[in-house]
This record gives sequence, structure tokens and C-alpha cells, in this order.
Amino acid sequence: MTQNEMTSDDSTDSTAAGTTSTPDPSGEPLVDQSIEVDSTDGGAQTGREQVIEARDLDVFYGDVQALQGITMSIPENQVTAMIGPSGCGKSTFLRCINRMNDLIDAARVEGELHFEGKNIYDDDVDPVALRRRIGMVFQHPNPFPKSIYDNVAYGLRIQDETENLDEKVETALKRAALWDEVEDQLDKSALDLSGGQQQRLCIARAIAVDPDVILMDEPASALDPIATSKIEDLIEELAEEFTVVIVTHNMQQAARISDKTAVFLTGGELVEFGDTQSIFENPEHQRVEDYITGKFG
Amino acid sequence: MATTEPDVDWHGDDSSVNHLRGRAFEATCLAATAFGLVSVLLLLLFVANDAFRPLSADGGWLLTYAATVLAPLAALAVYYYRLDEPAGEVAYVTSGLPVVGVLLTGGFAVMFIELLSILEWFALVTSLVAAGGLIVAHGRLRPNAALERLVVLFGAPVVTVLGTPPAQFNWLVTDLAAALGVDFGLYHRVISLREVLLRLPYVPTNWLLLLGTLVAPLAVAGGVFIARRRDSRRAGFAVVGATLVGALAGLVTGPALGIGYGGWMLLVAFVALPVGIYVEGVVRRREGVRGLAFPVIAVLGVAVGSVVVDAAGFAGPDSWLDWGFLTSATSRTAADAGIYPAMVGSIMMIIVIVLATFPVGVGAAIYLEEYAPSEGPMGKFVTLVEINIGNLAGVPSVVYGLLGLALFIRIVQWPQGSIVVAGLAVGLLILPIVIISAQEAIRSVPDSFRQASYGMGATRWQTIRQVVLPEALPGILTGTILALGRAIGETAPLLMIGAAASVRLAPNGFFDVASMMPRQIYSWSSELEPAFRHGVLAAGVITLLAVLLVMNATAIVIRNRYQRE
Repeated sequence: MTQNEMTSDDSTDSTAAGTTSTPDPSGEPLVDQSIEVDSTDGGAQTGREQVIEARDLDVFYGDVQALQGITMSIPENQVTAMIGPSGCGKSTFLRCINRMNDLIDAARVEGELHFEGKNIYDDDVDPVALRRRIGMVFQHPNPFPKSIYDNVAYGLRIQDETENLDEKVETALKRAALWDEVEDQLDKSALDLSGGQQQRLCIARAIAVDPDVILMDEPASALDPIATSKIEDLIEELAEEFTVVIVTHNMQQAARISDKTAVFLTGGELVEFGDTQSIFENPEHQRVEDYITGKFG
Repeated sequence: MATTEPDVDWHGDDSSVNHLRGRAFEATCLAATAFGLVSVLLLLLFVANDAFRPLSADGGWLLTYAATVLAPLAALAVYYYRLDEPAGEVAYVTSGLPVVGVLLTGGFAVMFIELLSILEWFALVTSLVAAGGLIVAHGRLRPNAALERLVVLFGAPVVTVLGTPPAQFNWLVTDLAAALGVDFGLYHRVISLREVLLRLPYVPTNWLLLLGTLVAPLAVAGGVFIARRRDSRRAGFAVVGATLVGALAGLVTGPALGIGYGGWMLLVAFVALPVGIYVEGVVRRREGVRGLAFPVIAVLGVAVGSVVVDAAGFAGPDSWLDWGFLTSATSRTAADAGIYPAMVGSIMMIIVIVLATFPVGVGAAIYLEEYAPSEGPMGKFVTLVEINIGNLAGVPSVVYGLLGLALFIRIVQWPQGSIVVAGLAVGLLILPIVIISAQEAIRSVPDSFRQASYGMGATRWQTIRQVVLPEALPGILTGTILALGRAIGETAPLLMIGAAASVRLAPNGFFDVASMMPRQIYSWSSELEPAFRHGVLAAGVITLLAVLLVMNATAIVIRNRYQRE
């Protein structure tokens, strides 16, 4: 587990939130404390607009229930982290947001999930159109076996947005902090890049089409510590323009980069959801505290 | 931490562990492998001996060539293997490229002699290019008109290559319209660009057409390749110029050598151009330059050997498989018998098979892998279909022959024993194999690529077209070529649909009655004269095996090429 290497030099207690590279001096609250946190029922009333709202969402794989009555709202232009032990349904929830679960024949979704006020499981929603607004980055870097340029241009080409293609590709690579490294090898195969570069390429590919939300499924779990810290820095920058939802196994990572944290526990239930700092410093539920302090999970 | 030998009893030299059964099993497996390999090898040697009859040559002839060709080449091979591996690779490629080039040349030569004139080739290529140009131009001008593009995609070839449907179809339409009480008819069919070109009153001479439609495009492709690799436009132009000049020289040298300007031009395009590009690269990189000695010594050895043999008056072997065998038709006398018409028949049959099975097989594989449901009652039905495709792959070939007979000859009424019927019958036979291997190839595309594509908001069609198919194509091609290897050797369906036992003329069209190599070999096997059954038959078998070997080698080369990347 490479992500554990990251934790070695970080303190594992709740002050980990203050040790990140954020401009805030440690000790200062990372997020606006005036936000009223309402956990478990998830209807966090923050001043910001809620882009994604799950209402009593159940997901089944065949007869197995993977998510139980999830209700939560994800605020705009913030990083929302989802943590929890393996098999707790956090990736399933992430994949519900852009309907990637549609690709699994056995998966069945009940309840509502609203994106910008529209239930994405309505019959008149085309998942293809939805995914053009909600991009995704996967656990293992999965660039296409094409050139770096073609990888970034892929989304633009499939959406027929081929004007100023060079410019858009360059912008996306710059925003993904990859441009300086690949500037003069755009026609080289993306598979020749290192794992960390590949993952940043995948991020560039996802943001090239300018989505509203970026979903990240353990984006750094297959990477070494240095590549991981680059990805983390990148995520924080991206949150200025995009809503980022990230699933991670690494609690320190969640504490470092996220504004909001949702804790899923075994059985597919959302146990606690609120500001990252309060989750890590003062969790309401004993189970969450046990999980965060490493007593189980 | 004891330093003395401890007194333990676990190390097993008291035979508490029994290896006997394992060893016996291993030995049995080895024996089975060896038996299979040795018996096939012996059989092949036996057939090759019958076909080439090397022992019918004078001892001096064999010794001369052993000394001038075999010994130096063997020594070189050992040298490369032991000391200079890059050179070995170079030797391998520089010897193999010309062989492939000559085979391609032979293929095109046969095509121009038997199938279509150079003018027809020119018309076909020009109109295909025009169709491609129309499609590309439409894509550029109106990139968002998907439906329109579909119309252009199918319409362009009709306008340029096919023309409006042939007369029979027009009568059908007219009759149908009359039956419905409408006066409508396509009384004049519109001819295609291809037909316009064929009817031009003045056309350039054949050598100019050949130069323009075959040599020049290949030269430009080679030039672009070199220009990219060396980052120099001049080098690219030099390649194009040298190729064209070399090809034009054939107008004089070709006839002088007795191969005609056409043969010379084809050789320049298929042999000299690729070999030249490869050798240039080797020399410039200065890596494995010694490998170039291999083909040079091979040619020199043959030349020296032939001079010596001529001077000393040694007689060569009386081989059944010689140039005459490959270029003449079968005959009543074994010495004159050849396989040429059957070879042309086989190649044309392969063309029909490729055109029929590749789109159908790959289409079915894509549907089954990418679209078909995998859950619920429909999923079960799909599984049933897939199982039965596997079963169809095991149905005896004679049954497919019967199917071809019933379907294409009795019902569709195509001529008995014609190439198109043979191709479709054998095509049905290999269709399950093509489907299964294409399915395997599509399945081997990592799911993460599909996920990435769908996650970007690609439709299923875009994902298949841009991600899955390009990744799966090498595997699909490999599987298809291997299946074609099986198709070319099938005999039973050819017997069932009545392919000719022996023909004296190569077929000129796809509805001609023809013989194919396995059919021809089968009919030689029942000749009374022993020379047929022993000599000619063996030569035919070796020819068939050689064709098969070339096809399988192509498949392997494609697979390795893409695996490396």
C-alpha cells in the first residue's frame, strides 16, 4: 500500500489537517468555521450552492445492497473527500454521480441524485451528456494507448469541439501541471510517461472538456509519495475552478486536501458527513472516531 | 547456531519423499511431445524429398553448392549467433524482406495477368481514391452532419466505383413499380467514375499508369517515412526521386532481362524500395552492418556455384517443384504438370473469403462483446448463441460443403464449382473461427480504456470506434489470417460444391469455374501414373504448405509488431 508511505512522516492525529501545504498557518481553521455543520442527514446548509444532492440513494449489485439510503449534498468549488474501509460503497457512490454504474448490468439504483437540481436518474437524462459535465479520474492511471496530444484531445474530439484544439490541449496540460514536462513530446505515446505523469495526463484529459465536477477514485493510490504530493497539490488548485469529489483510502490525504469529508462504513451507510476539520478533530460518532484513530478498518 | 552437522531426519535422503511417479509422468509427456514432433517432421521431410528429389542430382552438384552457399552461410549464422546478435537481426530482415517483396510482386503480376488489366487497375484505384477523398472532404467541410456522412460513406463508392445498380436490378424496380401501377423506371443506369475512366478514348500508356498508381504512391509513402525519421525533407525527396528513376530505368532494363517493364517496376516498388530504406537505416546507425554480408554472400555463393556447376557439367536435381511447376497448368504427362491455375483459383477464393467473412465475423464479434446484454433472459440467450458459435467451429467441413451446395448452387443458382461459391462455402466454415478470435481480441482490450472513454462522455459507438477497435485490430487480424490459413487448405467443401478437378486455364473472374490447390492435389492423388502420385502431388503439397507458412508468418509478424509497442 503505497499511500501508507505518505503517512510515515505525518502525525496521525487530527492536527494532520494543519500540516498540509495550504497557505493557512497551522492552527488556523482550514475552512470557514461559520459554516453550520449538520452531519448524518447530510443536508449541510453551507452558504455555497449545492451541486450534487443525493436523496435516499440505494444501490444494489444483484441481491447485494451496496449503498443504504445515502443522503448528502456536495458543495460547489470545494474538495469533498469520501473515506471508509474497503467495500464500504464509497466508490460505488462516486460512480453513481456520473452514472458509470450503468455500465454494470447487475447494478440497480433507487432514490434520487440531483445534479444542478435535476435528478440524473430521470428517464430523460442521457448518461453520455451527464458524463460530459462530470468528468472522472480513475484509481489506476488509464491513458489511452495514443499520443499525449490525442489523449488530451480525446474528449474535445468526441464532443466535436475541435476549434483551437492545440490551444485547448495546451491549457489543459498547463492546468494539470504537466505541460513543462511533456511540452516537446506531445506526439509520444502516453504509455511512455511515468505513473504520476500518466495520472496527471488523465486529469488533463478530464479537465480539457471543462466539466463542472471532477470525480476522482483513489487517484493517488497507485503512485509513489512524490507523485502523490504533486497530485494533491493539483487537486487543491483544481478546486478553485471545479467541484472535486475524491474517494481515498488515505485519511491523511483526506485531511490535507479536502474541505468536506464523508465517512462511509461497512455495509454501505454514510455515517458522518461534515467539515473535514470537525470530522477529524471531533467526530460525533464513536465508530467514526474508532475508524479515524485506527482502532478498526 | 550449532556448527556441527545436526542430527535431523527431515532432508529426505531416506526416500521419504517419492519422486518416482512425477518423473515417470514427466518422461511420458516428453515422449508424447517428441513422438508428435518427430513424426510430423519425418512426414514433411518425406514429402519434401519427393518434391525436390535432391538425391537425383550429381554428387558434384550437391558438393559445389554445399561449399559455395551452405557452408559460408552456416558459418555466418554461427558467427552472428555467438558474437554479433544485432547483425543477425539485420541478416534476418535483409534476407526476409526481398522474399516477401518478390512474393508480393508475384501476386501483383498474377493479378495483372489474370484478373484485371493495368487500365482497369488504374480506374479502380483512382475511383477508390476519389471516393475516399469525397468522404474525407465531407468530414472536413461538415464535421457535425453525422447522418449526412453516412449517406456520403455509402454513396461515394457507388458514384465512383459501382455506378447505379446493374440492369437486372433496374428491371426489378420497374416491374415492381408497374405491378403497383406506377410508371417508374431506371431505364438508363448512371455509370461510375471507374467506368468513365475505362471508356476514355485516350489513356496514358500502361507503364505510365503503373508508375502513377502503384510505384509513385509507394515511393511517396517511403519518402514520407524517411523524411519523418531523418527529419529532412530532402532525404524524403531523394527517396521518391530514386524510386521513380529506378522504376523508369525498367523501360530499358526490364525487357532486356526478360521480365518486362511491369515486372521491373513491381520489383523496384516492392523489393528495392523497402530493402533500400532498411539498409540505409542500418548503415547510418552503424549497428549490425555485418549482417548485410549474409544476403550478399548468399547471392554470390549461388552465382559462383552455378558457374562451377556449368563448367564441370554437373547435373542438378530433377526436382518436381520448379519454376515450370509453378507457372504451368496441369497436364496428362507428369513432367509438364503444374499448379498455376489452381494457385490463382486459391488466391481468388481467399479474396472472396476475406471480403465475406471479415466484415461479418468482426461485426458479430463486436456485437456479442460490446452490445449484447450479459444479464437476464436475453443474456442467457446470448450465452447460448456464443456456445453454439463454438460448436459451429467444430462442425465437419464436409457439412459446410453441403450447406454451400444447397444455399449457393441450388437456391441462389450460382454456377457450380465457381470461385464465389467456393469462397462463400469455405467462408462459412471459418466464420465461427473468425468470430471467436475477434471476440478474444476485443475482450483483451483492458476495461479501463472503455471506462476512461465512457467517463469522458463518449458514446458507445465512439468508444468502440476510437478506443476498442484500434486496440483490438492486431489481434483480430492475427486471428483472421490464421483462420484463412485453415481456409486455404480445406478440401471437402470444394469437392461438395464441385470445384473443377483440373483446369488448364486460370480463372478470369469470380464466377468462373476454377480449381483450387487442395482440390488439384486431391485429383493428382487419384491419377494412375505413379509419377503423379509421388512427384507432382508432393510438389503441390509443398507449394500449399509454403503459402500457408507465408500467411502464418504474416500473422506472427503483425502480432509481434504491435505487442512491442
